[in-house]
Amino acid sequence: MEGMLIRKVLLLLLMLVLLSGCSNHGIRIHNDSADASKAEEILKKDQRLTSAVILFHEKDLLVGIDVDTFSRFHKKKIEKEIKKKLEKSYPDLTVTVSADRKMTIVLDKLIRKNEKDMGKKIDQLKSLLKEET
Amino acid sequence: MNENKYAKLEQQTSPKTPYLRNIVTAFITGGTICLIGQFVSLFYMTYFDFTERTSSNPTVATLIFIAMLLTGFGQYKKIGQFGGAGSAVPITGFGNAVVSAAIEHRSEGYVLGVGSNMFKLAGSVILFGVFSAFVVALIKTILVKFGVISW
Repeated sequence: MEGMLIRKVLLLLLMLVLLSGCSNHGIRIHNDSADASKAEEILKKDQRLTSAVILFHEKDLLVGIDVDTFSRFHKKKIEKEIKKKLEKSYPDLTVTVSADRKMTIVLDKLIRKNEKDMGKKIDQLKSLLKEET
Repeated sequence: MNENKYAKLEQQTSPKTPYLRNIVTAFITGGTICLIGQFVSLFYMTYFDFTERTSSNPTVATLIFIAMLLTGFGQYKKIGQFGGAGSAVPITGFGNAVVSAAIEHRSEGYVLGVGSNMFKLAGSVILFGVFSAFVVALIKTILVKFGVISW
């Protein structure tokens, strides 16, 4: 009896894992100040990224990236490289790049809801990313 | 009957250890526990102010809490019987070792019973955990110095 139950639960979990592979890919952009095409180009060229979110807000450029499994070991390095490239093409914006999952979650939420107090939320996110354990 | 003969006889009569089966069940059990941990971590990131880096602490605490409840209600030993090392290696196995020792020595009083026996099993986990953390940190430092990975 016990074995049957465990087997059923395992089958269910296996199906969940297989199905969860079908998540969104590609680059999502929200833009209300600058020209986004250059940023899109830079992110598209990088083979190590699976998806990205770009958000322009006043003087801020926030980029959340998802790197593929084995590039996760070089997450910090990839962040730095992309930040450098973006700062070159957008010299008058403050650029924040993060491969942290929190970044993509919050940016997607901001884009979806299109809130008014976006600046406040962005400042909060920036301070969160600086936190250490 | 000499020693060799006895060893031979013992090998013949005792059932064979199903290594492959044990490995597969341990893999599945440990993987499932880690999958649950990943979901907990995602939950903390989505609904609270935690990042990937800071969400590990509350995730560990939650998993230990769940393992504690399961141990108290006598369910964790069933998982342990099925999964073997897969249920002992993740942090939940550590929680199970602490709580089950505390329950076992409850009748001897709080100070000399629970207090002194709580880390009977978990003490070695802490010792070798600290030691292996040292070794892993050493390896990582060397790899970072050579530029293979970054911090």
